[in-house]
Amino acid sequence: MLSLRKIDKAFGAVRALTGVDLHLQPGCVHALVGENGAGKSTLLNILSGAIAADAGSIMLDGAECVGLTPRRAQALGIAIVHQQPALLHELTVAENLLFGSDGAVISWPARRARARELLLQVGADLDPDAIAASLPLPDQQLLQLARALRTKPRILVLDEPTAVLPSAASQRLLALVRDLRARGTAVLYVSHRLEELQQFADQVTVLRDGHSVFCGNMAEVTTKDLIRHMVGRTLAADTAHPSHATDKEVLSIEQLSNSDRSLHSITLSLHAGEILGLAGLVGAGRTQLAECLFGLGAIDAGSIRLNGKPFAPRSPADAIARGVVLVPEDRRRHGVIPAMSLASNFTLPHLNEFARHGLLDTRAETDAAEQAVSAFAVRAASVQEPIQTLSGGNQQKVVLSRSLRNRPTVLLLDEPTQGIDVGARQEIHAHIKSQAAAGCAVLLISSDLAELFLLADRIAVFQRGTVVGIVVRRSSSPEQVMSMCLQPATGQT
Amino acid sequence: MRERSLALCILLLFLALCFAFFAPNFGSLNNLLEIVRSATELGLLSLAMTLLMQAGALDLSVGAVMGLTAVMLGACLPAGLPLALLAALTTATVCGTANGLLVARLRIPPLLATLATMALFRGIAEGSTRGYAVFTELPAAFLFCGQGYLLHVPAQLPLLVLASIGAFLLAHRTPFGRRLTALGNSPTAARYMGIDVARHQFTAHVLTGLSAGIAGILYTAHLGQAKADAGTGYELAAITVVVLGGTSLTGGKATIIGTLLALFCLATLQNGLLLAGLPSELGLILQGALLLLAVGIGRNHSTALSTTALPTDLRPFKMKNSQVLVLAAAILIAAAIIAFTNLALVRAIGGAAPALSPAHRVTVALMPKNKSDPYFASCQAGAQAAAAELDIDLIWDGPNDTDAARQNEIVEAWITKGVDVIGVSVESEAAISTVLRKARARGIKVLTFDADAAADARDFFVNQATEQAIAQALTDDAARILGGKGTFAILSASVTAANQNAWLKHIQLRLAEKWPELKLATTRYSDGLRDKAMAETNKLLRAFPDVQLVMVLAAAAVPGAAEAIKQAGSKVKLIGLSVPSLCRDYVHEGIIESITLWNTVDLGYLTVHTANAAARGLLKKGATTLNAGRMGTMTVQGDQVLLGAPFRFTKDNIDQFKF
Amino acid sequence: MTQTRALLLVITCLLLTLAIWAPEFFAPGNLQILALSHLPLLIAATAMTLLITAGQIDVAIGAEVALCAVVAGIAARAGLPIPIWIGAALLTGVLIGFAHGMLVTKLRIPALVTTLATLAILRGVLRLATGGVWIQQLPASFQWCGLGQAAGQLIYMAIAAAVCTLVFLVMRQTKVGREVFATGCDPETARLLGARPERVVPGVFIASGLLAGLAALLDQTRLPSVAIEAGTGLELAAIACVVLGGASIRGGRGSVGGTALGVLFFAAISGLVFLHVDPVWERAIQGAILLIAIAREARPKLHKAASGHA
Repeated sequence: MLSLRKIDKAFGAVRALTGVDLHLQPGCVHALVGENGAGKSTLLNILSGAIAADAGSIMLDGAECVGLTPRRAQALGIAIVHQQPALLHELTVAENLLFGSDGAVISWPARRARARELLLQVGADLDPDAIAASLPLPDQQLLQLARALRTKPRILVLDEPTAVLPSAASQRLLALVRDLRARGTAVLYVSHRLEELQQFADQVTVLRDGHSVFCGNMAEVTTKDLIRHMVGRTLAADTAHPSHATDKEVLSIEQLSNSDRSLHSITLSLHAGEILGLAGLVGAGRTQLAECLFGLGAIDAGSIRLNGKPFAPRSPADAIARGVVLVPEDRRRHGVIPAMSLASNFTLPHLNEFARHGLLDTRAETDAAEQAVSAFAVRAASVQEPIQTLSGGNQQKVVLSRSLRNRPTVLLLDEPTQGIDVGARQEIHAHIKSQAAAGCAVLLISSDLAELFLLADRIAVFQRGTVVGIVVRRSSSPEQVMSMCLQPATGQT
Repeated sequence: MRERSLALCILLLFLALCFAFFAPNFGSLNNLLEIVRSATELGLLSLAMTLLMQAGALDLSVGAVMGLTAVMLGACLPAGLPLALLAALTTATVCGTANGLLVARLRIPPLLATLATMALFRGIAEGSTRGYAVFTELPAAFLFCGQGYLLHVPAQLPLLVLASIGAFLLAHRTPFGRRLTALGNSPTAARYMGIDVARHQFTAHVLTGLSAGIAGILYTAHLGQAKADAGTGYELAAITVVVLGGTSLTGGKATIIGTLLALFCLATLQNGLLLAGLPSELGLILQGALLLLAVGIGRNHSTALSTTALPTDLRPFKMKNSQVLVLAAAILIAAAIIAFTNLALVRAIGGAAPALSPAHRVTVALMPKNKSDPYFASCQAGAQAAAAELDIDLIWDGPNDTDAARQNEIVEAWITKGVDVIGVSVESEAAISTVLRKARARGIKVLTFDADAAADARDFFVNQATEQAIAQALTDDAARILGGKGTFAILSASVTAANQNAWLKHIQLRLAEKWPELKLATTRYSDGLRDKAMAETNKLLRAFPDVQLVMVLAAAAVPGAAEAIKQAGSKVKLIGLSVPSLCRDYVHEGIIESITLWNTVDLGYLTVHTANAAARGLLKKGATTLNAGRMGTMTVQGDQVLLGAPFRFTKDNIDQFKF
Repeated sequence: MTQTRALLLVITCLLLTLAIWAPEFFAPGNLQILALSHLPLLIAATAMTLLITAGQIDVAIGAEVALCAVVAGIAARAGLPIPIWIGAALLTGVLIGFAHGMLVTKLRIPALVTTLATLAILRGVLRLATGGVWIQQLPASFQWCGLGQAAGQLIYMAIAAAVCTLVFLVMRQTKVGREVFATGCDPETARLLGARPERVVPGVFIASGLLAGLAALLDQTRLPSVAIEAGTGLELAAIACVVLGGASIRGGRGSVGGTALGVLFFAAISGLVFLHVDPVWERAIQGAILLIAIAREARPKLHKAASGHA
């Protein structure tokens, strides 16, 4: 149905794609995997018409598509759900959903009604008049998905659709994909969650360093093979983390509530060397808790004690000064400043350490950044390059290395490996483990239960702004935690 | 950013080369130092604005802060210079703090917040002084800061150098500057990284206020008068400089080097054009071309359409052939303009080097208060006629808005250029006298016309009528029309217009002395604009229904007021000060009762004749007559050449005057 | 929309004050004159709304108004019929808009820089070409475009109202209008969604040029001559109205309705003269009222407010 043949693309001196082939068939889910930076995004951008290939051809139903633009791609029935939500942030949900779909003159009541209908299809209960920027990341993702499905595409491209989605929504999404496949849609599915792909993909293409290194039927390959193709070597299996928890209580939270009730009556304690996982659906209040601890949210009632002393940070600066650091969920908006250099991004919270007589010692900055780059195996051409030129995984490693620079007492991690490839994910896991081993108290928010069960000593389950239960990893199972996340709240605190 | 700086360097070199070749004395060290002097105040503002824009903010109130600082300085001078300086800087800091609080604490967008404070600060400065200069007898030590030399270097130069180094280090080499860049890029991410966004924004605004205050003090010292209109329009000029330098309006990208290069590009352009004797409007046009060129050449990879940061792979950089073509065309056109104007200049002077011509041609440079005022447009007509008659070179240039600082700048340039006679219609006596004395010391004959400077600062004053005579003529006319009693209103130019304010004073004296039953209901301001005069008159007619007569004190405002009265079908009488050509129809229709003025064409004509006579040594101290072409023999009284009393134009005589 | 509500509150307070202390402000004759003298600002601000919503800006709009008026004046003086010189003024606006659009999209010079440059160039050319002399001795039919004063005033107001309504409807209710918003939000995303920023941007510049031509006609044909300094200060006033009306200077947010409120605000504070305020203090008081109007929309929470602009 759709074939990409011998696609080449270079940005300046960097060859992003070299002779890549990809063939999609109707009624077939085609998985596209590869490490971050392998060229997946570039390939998708070519497919969507956002950028033009330097060489190679795109054939649709046997006819060559020349001069593909986003409009033409849409007209040809190609719909794309981007990993980073491509939304018009100042505009409403309904507008984002139905942009350009309803003729020259617009009827707003009809738009709202149709928006509700489309959102329900993907299981999102959003206000059509809400401003897109005000939505949390998962809702933005669902909004994008609903928009893609609206066009009833013949070819649906999903770029990491489940990366930010909580499990339940992921399951619904996978059901949707199966349904589409049954109706003859060709699906190109990009994901790092190989287990997920194993469940339902029919074919798979592996990209490595801009080359398509493997193409075949999913049923015939194992996860291990795929990883070998992706990284070009065999990875050691990720092993569960032995507990380093001590008796020393570092952080104690008592009956914490905030004014808009997104958090209420939370009681938790965190010990030195312990990794406490926070499970729950999106919107359950996990991120709000982390932000509260990081000085980004107002506390209404209850108390927090850090090493026995009262702790009520009024700003992130306050929190950082007390040794509490956060690796935020929305990396692009909160974690890094995309246009600034890697080195600047690395030193920003620590600038005073690099000042001599009030002036910055750029040499020392570069040295420190280079040290971090080598310690965390960040792949970057130079530390002076804007950080936006790095792949997501490498950006995340910079964020992590920055947060760990001054040996924090409490490390708050909000979805640290979301949308990050296997290799980088393992490295980040290793760093988290070694921090815990060194006595740091870690709060790990993750929607990936496998990750929680790999790392956490205990797992606190959140529901509607409060903790509904705390389980010890060794004596629990992912299924149990999942059911706790989903069960209706019945006055249990 | 590098590309932009490089482009600016090339442009600066290109301009310097052009002017060094075509503009007399451009390349002299003194002139280069004068360029620096004239750029100091704007430089201080631009440096601060660069820091502010680095943080994604903007300050439109800097010019107004200069005005308020100047007024405060003047008001506190009786208490001693140190105290006055302290008060001025405190005022500026308070202004900056107010902006900072509005932006950082109340979260009002900077554009909107400073738009409001711009009106507020300037309004306070104007209201508290009623537009009059506060203090003109400034101590010599203070004036030295603005007008003196330290070892042949203008006194401001060390300050500008220090400020530049300081701003450079602050913007590019300190944690503070780095944090500003971060929050300019993304305030949210900056906050997540532990940066106190509000405090940094606040500090940047306070710094800008302080910097504007220092600029205001220097401006006062440079000009020699403390007045509420100090720094008018400087905010837009500063923004132009910063943007030309390559700093991004949306924040997160700033370059102090670029700002300085842009500053000197623009200052060089203006100075060079003046020295080449080219009209300042051309400066405006070239400034526009420069902006397009510098940005066009040194354009970075981001698209102009986009203000947000995007992954680089989404915005491939392509320079299409058509773009190259347009760019090349733009460069060619700019080059052609410069070449053409230079050619015209060469022809006008008759050979580039004056030394070539055995009979030295006299060059007379005349400056109106405001080039775009129709009053001076008719003066210019007379001056040109006389210059053609006498076969001398006439340069006619001046501010496009009443601007005392610009007048000084132009005189400085003329001194450097080396003209034979300088004639000025003085906007501010206190401000210009020093530089006129300097011109005399260099052997240049100095005249004043229309409005006088200090007596020792000029050789002759071409006197048309005194402030007092005009005020009396107008008041008496009003009294005659109203039968000696009644209510009238005045529509002046701007609150700070020096001439109008002097007339207002004399009108009030005349009322108290001779017409106690004549009541002045209100004085409103038209800014010398026809359209604003119309709107103001419309409001005046309805808000003050008992007004029987409106007296308009600006040439361009009279027809605006007349049109308003005509459209309202009102019986209110109108008199004013204007030129016949603008008012002829209204006078015939009976809307305008009478206009008072001397013959402005003759004023220009006589001034050029006086200048010629002075340059050729035909007019010396003690002469009693002057032969002035078609005007015949004119009377000279002491050091004043008299044009005659003000004239009343009415229905009966207006058609005899063709100007 | 709390911003517009706050603005509405301040305007109501102003009007109430005027109603109590200076009822003559509300005399029909005065309101009509007031409306008429604010038409050029309304049209210019409407044009600016289009531009700012699309993420652009035009600081040269005052100079464009002057140029269009001068062109109309010269054409009228040459004895051309009314429709021709009206067309000439509008066409001049369109051409300037087209030039702006090309500079911004083809040469990728940011709108602020482009229009700062054309502001200087247009004002310079106007002064150089005319020597500051007004366009006078126009045929009688120049004033009110030959409609006569009474009919002309009403028709002018009707035209302005119709044009604003049209722009309002186009921006709100049509696909093209929504593309303007999308482009202002983020041109790359807009392009991915099938909008055409490379056409929208020149489009809004051309439309605003046309509106500048209209503003020039509504402004200068109220008088029997054309002043070279027409439109002075119009750009800043128009931007103030738009931003006051709730538009985001970064684009993507704005409405003609809000802008009209902004114009109403400025019309209302021009009524200070009816309260017999000392004119030298008028500017300070206007600044203070403006400050109150914008302080009402202050947003206390930082990270919520800023998160929209990442």
